[in-house]
Amino acid sequence: MRKLHKSLQAGVLVAAGALTLGQGLAKADEIVIGASLPLSGPLAGFGSFQQWGYKHAVEEVNKAGGIAIDGKKEMVKLIIRDDQTNPNLTASNTQTLLSRDHVVAMLGSCTPALVNAGALVAERAKKPIVTGCDPLQVFTSVRKWKYAWDIFFSVPDLTVAPFKMLASAGVTTNKKLAIWHDNGPDGQANGKKLWPAFAKKFGYAVVQDAEFPINNAQFTSIISEAKAKGADVVLVDAVTPPAVAIRKQMASEGYSPKVLDIEKGAEPVQFAQALGKLADGVLVGGYWDPTFPYPGAAKLAKDFEAETKLTSSQHIADSYAAAQVLLDAIAAAGSTNADKINAAIAKTNKTYVVGPIKFAADHTSTLPIVSEQWQGGKTVIVWPKKAATGKLLFPMP
Amino acid sequence: MPDFGTVASAIISGLLLGGMMGLIALGLSIVLGVMRLVNLAHGVFLVMGAYAGLYFLKYTGIDPLLALPLLALGIAALALPLYRYLLAPLAHRGPEAQLMTMFAVAIILQNLFVFTFSADTRSIERSYATLPLSLGTVTVPLIYVIGFAIAVALILAIHGLIAHTGFGRDLRASAADPAAAATLGVNVQRVQMLTFALGTACAGVGGILIGVAFQFSPSSGGAYLLNSLAIVVLGGLGNVLGTLAGGMILGLLQSLGGLTLGDGYRDIVGMALFLLVLVFRPEGFLAARRA
Amino acid sequence: MKQHRLIGDVGILAGGFALLWFAPSFASDYALQISFRVMIYLTLAESWNLLTGSVGLVSLGTASFVGLGSYVAFGLANHFGTPLPVILMICALAGALLATVVSPALFRLRGVYFTVGTLALAALLQLLMVNLPTFGGASGIFLKHDPPPLPSLYHYALSVALVTALAMAICARTRISVIIRAVRDDEDAAAQMGVRPYRVKLGAFALASALIAMAGAVQAINLGAIEPYGTFGLQWTIDTLSMVIIGGIGWRLGPLAGVLFVVALGEMLANYPEAHIAITGVILIVLIRFAPSGIVGLLTRLFTRPRRLSSP
Repeated sequence: MRKLHKSLQAGVLVAAGALTLGQGLAKADEIVIGASLPLSGPLAGFGSFQQWGYKHAVEEVNKAGGIAIDGKKEMVKLIIRDDQTNPNLTASNTQTLLSRDHVVAMLGSCTPALVNAGALVAERAKKPIVTGCDPLQVFTSVRKWKYAWDIFFSVPDLTVAPFKMLASAGVTTNKKLAIWHDNGPDGQANGKKLWPAFAKKFGYAVVQDAEFPINNAQFTSIISEAKAKGADVVLVDAVTPPAVAIRKQMASEGYSPKVLDIEKGAEPVQFAQALGKLADGVLVGGYWDPTFPYPGAAKLAKDFEAETKLTSSQHIADSYAAAQVLLDAIAAAGSTNADKINAAIAKTNKTYVVGPIKFAADHTSTLPIVSEQWQGGKTVIVWPKKAATGKLLFPMP
Repeated sequence: MPDFGTVASAIISGLLLGGMMGLIALGLSIVLGVMRLVNLAHGVFLVMGAYAGLYFLKYTGIDPLLALPLLALGIAALALPLYRYLLAPLAHRGPEAQLMTMFAVAIILQNLFVFTFSADTRSIERSYATLPLSLGTVTVPLIYVIGFAIAVALILAIHGLIAHTGFGRDLRASAADPAAAATLGVNVQRVQMLTFALGTACAGVGGILIGVAFQFSPSSGGAYLLNSLAIVVLGGLGNVLGTLAGGMILGLLQSLGGLTLGDGYRDIVGMALFLLVLVFRPEGFLAARRA
Repeated sequence: MKQHRLIGDVGILAGGFALLWFAPSFASDYALQISFRVMIYLTLAESWNLLTGSVGLVSLGTASFVGLGSYVAFGLANHFGTPLPVILMICALAGALLATVVSPALFRLRGVYFTVGTLALAALLQLLMVNLPTFGGASGIFLKHDPPPLPSLYHYALSVALVTALAMAICARTRISVIIRAVRDDEDAAAQMGVRPYRVKLGAFALASALIAMAGAVQAINLGAIEPYGTFGLQWTIDTLSMVIIGGIGWRLGPLAGVLFVVALGEMLANYPEAHIAITGVILIVLIRFAPSGIVGLLTRLFTRPRRLSSP
């Protein structure tokens, strides 16, 4: 019995010691904000871009002398934790950031599962969280938010883009449409409801509507069915690994439709790098490009590429903008009080690197969608005409 | 109802792909049989093979499939110190110690891959990897045929090695009863080390095939690990040709499952089949004997 | 002697529980959150320790029951508005039920095959949840109402951990421990002694699964949103396994020591997000290699003579 006592005591002491070690790192005159990001696991690709976007915004503010709180300039400290692409960890990271590091506000993770997990914790703790990377309709379907704000694209905008693009390009197809989508929240919304509805509106016949799990690797059955049915247009909603698998397997099964649009998965540059020539002609919706006529757009991509020697991604822009919105709100509030910051976020009305940001009553701000096409390892905007940086490659090579 | 061409293509593709999966599973199977170790790093070794193939192509310009023996030896050589310094000292302890060590190795390697190669999805780009092979209405990917041929050749070679050589005899003895084998003068540790290297090489070669035929990223090993476990159980532990058969059966059933229920049900078909076999045919496995 | 020890254990547990119950009135939110995490993991680790350390069933199926508890809890809360204590009881029943249903299949497997079978079970359940739209598919389910505040959640986690600790005390301090040890050491010999190994194994499996399902339910309520990849994820299984191994398999205090160590380590390394998984891996390898019976085993060997869970 004594031994049990002793060990218990030792255990409690060790734990208490360990926990105090981690505490009290923040200095008194700092504004501390936090973010939990997928720096490892399947979504590590997104996480690294977001991390850069968040850090870059904070560095710029600090270089300019920080933010005045109650009239006194303070530096901003950003604490980033890795959630390993696991929503359980996003939640516990957010809890720790709020309760141990006493962050005044949070920046979001990426993809609905992770963003929502963190936002739910922040919402309960009544601390503001600004995020991108969570399609607006998915974000608003969770609950009525009071402290969470989302800057991203609207799902119907993204979904209708390929139809509008094809209509405005004036190209002819047999109007037979195959839809392949994953069973994630946005995949189901696009594939089951929105695409079939728009297909009807734009006069397409849906000859196939196939669903697969998010991490699927084999698409032979789906592809051969579409091939047998002779679909000229294929719309896909998938993350990058299956997107690469789909494009390769289409080629190796000898199926080449005239139009192939892969939402989500075809967006990062790794898609084109993994596929080489096969990426040519693949369409994808995007919400940002360095050529956009917004302040700092070209410079942001240049800074990123100079600093990291990597090709830039649109994810540096929404994360950078989200961080700027938060930092501007803290400055406008002139306070680290959560409710004052939250009220200031609600009043955001300014043009950022991603375009004008102004939150609607449901806490969302919509980014406009463009249609992009991979051509020679680079994306070219092919729709709408006023933003276009190149011509549509049709049919797909 | 899908037409004949679609069904036949699916069946043949399934069988061919299953052959490749059989090779990957064989690596897991021999390690499990000889060392009683569910190697949780098997999937990560596969990814390691794929990166090795990718960078080999990048720096030498030589097709990794032509240099398979060299790459396989290289990957096997990496496994030796892992065995010597991490696994061997734990040999006398329960299965959990080695299992957890390999899990730790898996997360370290995966972290290392993200750090060195980024989390991006990669693919070993070869022109033949995306060519179709058509016969009438039946179309299968050419790379499936190539991969299948390589996998079957390797599986047969390993079968020969285990069935007809002195090393094979020692291996079988060690698998059946390590203690008894040791008293008969078999250097069980050496056998285990070579088996572990061979198993790792199987994963690595499988990874190169996967890299050429499909795509991979630091985290894509997990799915192949589970798939391999299913094949091992289907084919019977320690049965080399059974593993090939198990792979092909699983590939076929997954293809048929994909065709009738949708591609999403492929993996479910695999797992359900796996559990069914576990339940109804346990006497075929090592389970009959007490460990 | 045994009874005496049991009463002693229960006394300590009751005292500790009473003390910890009042933690919300003096501890910070951070301390409460960490304690919540410790309680959840402690439940998982104790259950796994019972299965593996005592009965000898090496399970990789922890995630199956965490996920089951999560989904059952959300179903009850969202559709019937069931109060949380009732939800926990039903989750425990569901966990025991699933364990009983799959046990005829799993218990035919011995040794490493049982391990593989439990791993496959978790994978199958995850795939099913991903593919079945009835349960929200890959997008998962949200809790309709806000979860209870942190102190209340903490009390639930603490209660679940107490139930677990009491169950473990009973298993270790009564005649049950003798039976369990007999089954672990030699099933056939135990059967000849009149013990029914199947029933003992089933009892332990059902108990562990019930406890894990309750922990899963509390964790899910805490999250407010669940989806198959997180709740049925291998991470739960691996975390549990590594905690017990680090603490010391089969030792009474092994799970507690392992949980405290891993949670504290996680908090300390959290400031190095790029490397913290790799560092955890290295620590795991070193501990497994040089502290074969975990932290508790190491300390015990240094200071006292060994004492194992099932020793008389």
